[in-house]
Amino acid sequence: MNELFSKIKIFYEKHKLISFGIGLALLLAIPALFPKSYIMGIIDRILLYALLAGGLNVINGYSSQFCIGYAAFYCIGAYTEAIMSLRLNFNFWILLPISGIFAATAGLLVCLPTLKLKGKYLSIVTLGFSEIIRLIALNWSGLTGGPMGLKGIPVPNFFGIKIKSSISYYYIFLGLVIIFLFATSRVIKSKIGRAWLSIREDELAARSLGVETSKYKALNFMYGAFWAGVAGAAYAPYTRYIDSTFFTLDEGFNILSMVIIGGMGTLIGPVAGSIVVNLLTELLRPISEYRMVAYAILIIVMMWLRPQGLFGASNSILSGGKIKKKEERRKKKEVVV
Amino acid sequence: MKKVLSVLLAVMMVATILTGCSGGAKESNETSAKGEKVVKFGLLAPLTGTNAEYGKGFQIATQMAIDEINAAGGVNGYKLAIEVADSKGDQKESSDLARKFGDDKEIKAIIGDFASGACMANAPIVDAAGIVQLSPTASNPDYAGMSPYTFSIMGRQDAEAPFFAKYIIDKYLGAKSVALIYINSDWGVASHDNFVKGAEEVGLNIVAEANYVQDEKDFSSVLLKLKAADPEVLVIFDQGAVPQIVNQVAQLDWDVQITTLGPGTSQQILDLCGKNAEGLITSTPFFFDPESEAQTAWKKTFKEKAGFEPTVHPVVAYDCVYLLAKAIEMIGDGEVSRDAIRDNLQKAEIEGLAGPIKFSEAGDISRQYLICAVENGQFVIKEGYDYSK
Amino acid sequence: MEYFLNQLVNGISQGAIYALMAISYSVVVGVTGLITFTHGEVIMIGAFASFYIFQFVGNNLILGFVASFIASWLIGMVIYYVCYNRFFESPSHISLICTIGISMLIKNLAQIYFGPNQKPMLNVIDNKVFRIGVLQISMIQIIIVITVIVLAGILSFFINKTRWGIKLRTVSQDKKAASLMGVNVSRTAMIGNCIGCGLAGISGMLISVYYQTLQATMGGSLGMKAFSSSVLGGLTDTRFSALGGLAIGIIENLGIAISSASFRDIFAFGFLILILIIRPEGFATKKGARP
Repeated sequence: MNELFSKIKIFYEKHKLISFGIGLALLLAIPALFPKSYIMGIIDRILLYALLAGGLNVINGYSSQFCIGYAAFYCIGAYTEAIMSLRLNFNFWILLPISGIFAATAGLLVCLPTLKLKGKYLSIVTLGFSEIIRLIALNWSGLTGGPMGLKGIPVPNFFGIKIKSSISYYYIFLGLVIIFLFATSRVIKSKIGRAWLSIREDELAARSLGVETSKYKALNFMYGAFWAGVAGAAYAPYTRYIDSTFFTLDEGFNILSMVIIGGMGTLIGPVAGSIVVNLLTELLRPISEYRMVAYAILIIVMMWLRPQGLFGASNSILSGGKIKKKEERRKKKEVVV
Repeated sequence: MKKVLSVLLAVMMVATILTGCSGGAKESNETSAKGEKVVKFGLLAPLTGTNAEYGKGFQIATQMAIDEINAAGGVNGYKLAIEVADSKGDQKESSDLARKFGDDKEIKAIIGDFASGACMANAPIVDAAGIVQLSPTASNPDYAGMSPYTFSIMGRQDAEAPFFAKYIIDKYLGAKSVALIYINSDWGVASHDNFVKGAEEVGLNIVAEANYVQDEKDFSSVLLKLKAADPEVLVIFDQGAVPQIVNQVAQLDWDVQITTLGPGTSQQILDLCGKNAEGLITSTPFFFDPESEAQTAWKKTFKEKAGFEPTVHPVVAYDCVYLLAKAIEMIGDGEVSRDAIRDNLQKAEIEGLAGPIKFSEAGDISRQYLICAVENGQFVIKEGYDYSK
Repeated sequence: MEYFLNQLVNGISQGAIYALMAISYSVVVGVTGLITFTHGEVIMIGAFASFYIFQFVGNNLILGFVASFIASWLIGMVIYYVCYNRFFESPSHISLICTIGISMLIKNLAQIYFGPNQKPMLNVIDNKVFRIGVLQISMIQIIIVITVIVLAGILSFFINKTRWGIKLRTVSQDKKAASLMGVNVSRTAMIGNCIGCGLAGISGMLISVYYQTLQATMGGSLGMKAFSSSVLGGLTDTRFSALGGLAIGIIENLGIAISSASFRDIFAFGFLILILIIRPEGFATKKGARP
């Protein structure tokens, strides 16, 4: 097995473009392999959550601001899309970035006054914000339909083809995830991304080196919120009905646990987290009531064994000081022996 | 470590794919091992999460109905079976499961889900798959009209709420001023709006109204607000929180006639309110008659299996199975297909445990109502179905 | 005016419960230095312990207190070993996620073993209503307020005047220095955590006596309220946390008095966010009171 891996690795490093091409072709062919709308539905869910978890990872994993109420931005994106397409007949494709911008603006509103607050306080503010947004969606009946929700959200139109089923919707989610991964990988390698990482590892040191921490933290929050808005906008026409019960705090916790299980601070982590969590919840179906018990135990075990998650950044502060120290000690001992 | 994990991941993916496929391999296998013909339904219910109480009730009640029907020889030579799936009260999971049932050619109809949000998110899916989604409890007034395949037997609020205003408040109690307290959900708002319409027709004076969101615990300040308006009658529109509201009215030492629309003659009210419930008046589409042996037996069996007293929700879920059985019976010698079930369900009429059921064109029903009151810790019928005639 | 005074009474009795939850929360956070999301579930366990005592022994308030305190203490020990003991030196999000995990675990197990339905807790205290002028106060409200004041007094005495209290305070201020002074940090932190959990259990009992019902899923929103009240008071200071709880209770009820109960959490969280923006350290006056 190891041989195979190393061979694949060597091949990948030699022919990057070709292997990307092969990967893409495989991904595009998935709907042909699974003609069942059920399995495609699960794959769609995985991709949707990969996008959401990826966006949250930008906030929690790259700059160590701890956002818990991520569902708020997702909610704003979904409602923006639904309302604008129902009332103003805007095109889905234009609404994707517009919803993202709305969510990013909300992100700015949340984080501006809280920039001087430390992690825990930012967490409680995002948590409160999430509940407030949900209650506004529930109570502002004139705009959001209130408890009746919004139904009949128009499906997107791609050059005359109506994208309706979970199979054709797969391509929208896939496209968004690829764009997200590409864009984020570029941002992380840019000056902005470096600034985020330096804030994550040591905010004081970053500031003394001349990084404008407030500005970059705000930017970081807006970027993360933007993708939640995009995900919401893609999700609303997918279900074609939304109401405020879709965006509870639990939804935020769910996204958060995907980020944690997959691993914070890497691009692949949240994607893996989304795959593992969504597949597990499906696979554990036979044990019915004990499903969530098993899921909870998984989260705890994960934190005990691999606090940085499956594919987390193991070389950073995220992986936990104590455990790293232990390993260092072990290494030292080995050297002595 | 990383490699091991990625191998694990890959194995898991393959495993899911295989399970998914093996589900498909059994397609169109309509006969069970004993050579009996089987019709299978899918049940979507929140077995975990906040609404687990109701999901559990669905699961037990539908299984009871199926066991009864099978013990009596099945329908048209078919035995019934049900596949239960936990939707966790999450729309996304519910939609995935609806797709799963839609793909599975063995499943002929879906019963569920509990919350209207999930049902409405599923509507386009069941419409595309051409499979009936019969919800016992979906209460959003728009739900049943979303597709020819969506049905609800919750009972339309444009019948019950005006009945409540005209016949309970105005005619039966003869009250002139009311205060309303309702849950801020699709059902609560629809009931409230319809009640207000009915109240306007008979000239009732609504002196105060208040709403609250799901999971509210403390009603004291809202009730104080309503008390300040000094109404003759207080109307509560909810199911789950009615006992708390009744108790907190008593705690306020507020002597007001309490009436409630929604929970029916739920044992829960008697258990959770004790003597505070004395004198409570409610409208209900059905009544558990303590004299009737069949109904008491039903209640007892349910309690044995579930560990708690039934509310109205399991009862309607129980009726759903009989309704589908009736539709299959009406197909007669024809093939039991999804469309045949849909067409006959539309025409089906049964005398359910929760009263008579007959669908409107859209796929929902208007019920008839009884007026009940709590006397000496028991519900008693005050007026029959014909009171409004 | 009379109406607002009565709303104030409601606000104070609800605020008293929030205050007890906030005190217990700040004891936990103060000693461990880590935020917890299991508090709602601890409250629920306390409520169920007293429920079963009332069921099998009869309505004995004192026994109920003891039972809920002990049950929550035991749960507190489990939580301590699962979520905190290993993670004092790790980044705080790790133990935070552990608490989210264990809260899911407790909630789902409770739903399976206690049953998912609402349970009655009737007539534990006779419902008498006293009228003082225009004010109207019920027996339960008086008992709640008195219990909370007494418990807060005992806790304050314990923390400030006893040996164990001194140990707790040293551990909450500086774990390394405390261990150098010969304090068993792990043990002390565990006991502090368990005291906090025990108090939370008692508040769970008071809540279910007050509302006369309990349910396995009751913890979620209560835990959030405990958290926000405690943040309002600066997280680690018990006295200011109590004030924070009281403030949130009163704000909520007065807010409902002028608008609708649907906005309850908007008032609670809106007030919290507003205070945090104006005074990031909450009500606490000491500089550096934040952990």
